[in-house]
Amino acid sequence: MKNIIYFLFLYLIPVFSSAQDGSEIIERLMTRMNRVMDYSVNAKIKSDIPLIKILTVNATIYFKQKDKFRIISKGIAILPKQGFTDITKILREKDTYSSILTGTEIIQNARTEIITILPGADTSDLILAKLWVDASNDLMLKSQITTRSSGTVTAEYKYSTHKEFGLPESMLFTMDVKKFKIPKGLATDINRTSDAESNKPVPKVGTVFIQLNNYVINKGINEDVFLQK
Amino acid sequence: MLFKSVYNEFIKIAAKPRSYLGLAAITLLVGVILLALKADGLSFISFVTASFEQTLTFEGNILNGNLVAFIILQMLIIQIPLLVALVTGDLVSGEAASGTIRMLMTKPISRTNLLLSKFIAGGVYTFCIVLWLGFMAVVVGKFLFGPGDLMVLNSDNLVILQQDDVNWRYVGGFIIAFLALLTVSSLSICLSCFTDNSIGPIVATMSVIILFTIIGTLDVRIFDTVRPYLFTTHMASWRSFFEVPLPVKEISKSVIILFAHNVLLIGISIIKFNRKDITS
Repeated sequence: MKNIIYFLFLYLIPVFSSAQDGSEIIERLMTRMNRVMDYSVNAKIKSDIPLIKILTVNATIYFKQKDKFRIISKGIAILPKQGFTDITKILREKDTYSSILTGTEIIQNARTEIITILPGADTSDLILAKLWVDASNDLMLKSQITTRSSGTVTAEYKYSTHKEFGLPESMLFTMDVKKFKIPKGLATDINRTSDAESNKPVPKVGTVFIQLNNYVINKGINEDVFLQK
Repeated sequence: MLFKSVYNEFIKIAAKPRSYLGLAAITLLVGVILLALKADGLSFISFVTASFEQTLTFEGNILNGNLVAFIILQMLIIQIPLLVALVTGDLVSGEAASGTIRMLMTKPISRTNLLLSKFIAGGVYTFCIVLWLGFMAVVVGKFLFGPGDLMVLNSDNLVILQQDDVNWRYVGGFIIAFLALLTVSSLSICLSCFTDNSIGPIVATMSVIILFTIIGTLDVRIFDTVRPYLFTTHMASWRSFFEVPLPVKEISKSVIILFAHNVLLIGISIIKFNRKDITS
């Protein structure tokens, strides 16, 4: 009897403790992500933001470890303030957060583990982050970051040919957008009187869909690319 | 004969120093705006993007030649009528004041044709002003700030137009702006037919523009029926070319109303000028 209790203690305690902690999954996720030293990719950015009319924009995204990131577009592109590199930045600093497994959910026909990330310090910008990770493939299918500065941004990722590097083929960002007013001194329609159209209620959620193709991975990227001109 | 008379009238405009005041004013004003935006344009842009800073970022060159040209046009379109009226306002009354109109009447040309030649010459001058404004704003603006997508800054929404989609809109916008300024020119020439002094029609034209603009911008219901027919309401119609989708109906309405104003003002002028007792 004593041996059985001893066995159960030894065997089950680690199982339960790992079930509560998401660090192992995050570690695997990071290992996969860290295989990519640099990449460049062509992006098609389609923004659907309330009260902003913009067509699809083509851009090139450059990334280099550990946190160099640049988007070069021919025209003006609108992107979520949080999204591309924020998750990896947060996850890299292991000592600044604790991760808890808080459930499972089916996303894109895959069973995902929900990892909730809580910041260690109450003064940090991050309030809460949630990751939906396909643990069997070590892929992040969805993320949600809530910060003091930028509110909540949800991102959904779809993978195809570069899933071994954890690089998505498309991303859909959803974020809260407040109704804005450009100061009268800056607006160019100062003579326009208010009409019914401008008083219509507007949706409070904006989306940015990014289609990525032609990844060039680990081929080296010149440092000059990341210099803002 | 009409062509010769137009040529003569244009020579008279070209010989007046005040005709160059408009071109010089545009050069100076645009120069100052370009300089200011070149020096501190990014802080101007940050005021715009600040509204979104919490959740969105804008990638790409926002402060480009297209935006600069758009800002310049919006700023100057209020002042340009004064520059036009300054020259066209005394095309008839100036001659009456200086006594040359009597001699002009001795030429073998009808009063109607003589007046039409003044309208055409005034139109050519207006066209030159618009062309110079376009050159300074669009060409010089793009030269200094480079090309790029145009961010149209409305008070409660933004429209971002791709740079390949902008040039034809500028052409359309300038045509409407020309038509609007031609109306100002016609109004000032029309008022010029009613008086024998130079300053009166110029001041009267500006007064009419200010009055109509106030009526147009006041959000008071009693003006609702009048507002759509004021030419000042349609002076800002050049902006419609920068909307998506293009409000063809609104643009057509503006063109019709501005055109109708021109016909009406020319008609009144012809009647008045033909009945005018030239005593000076």
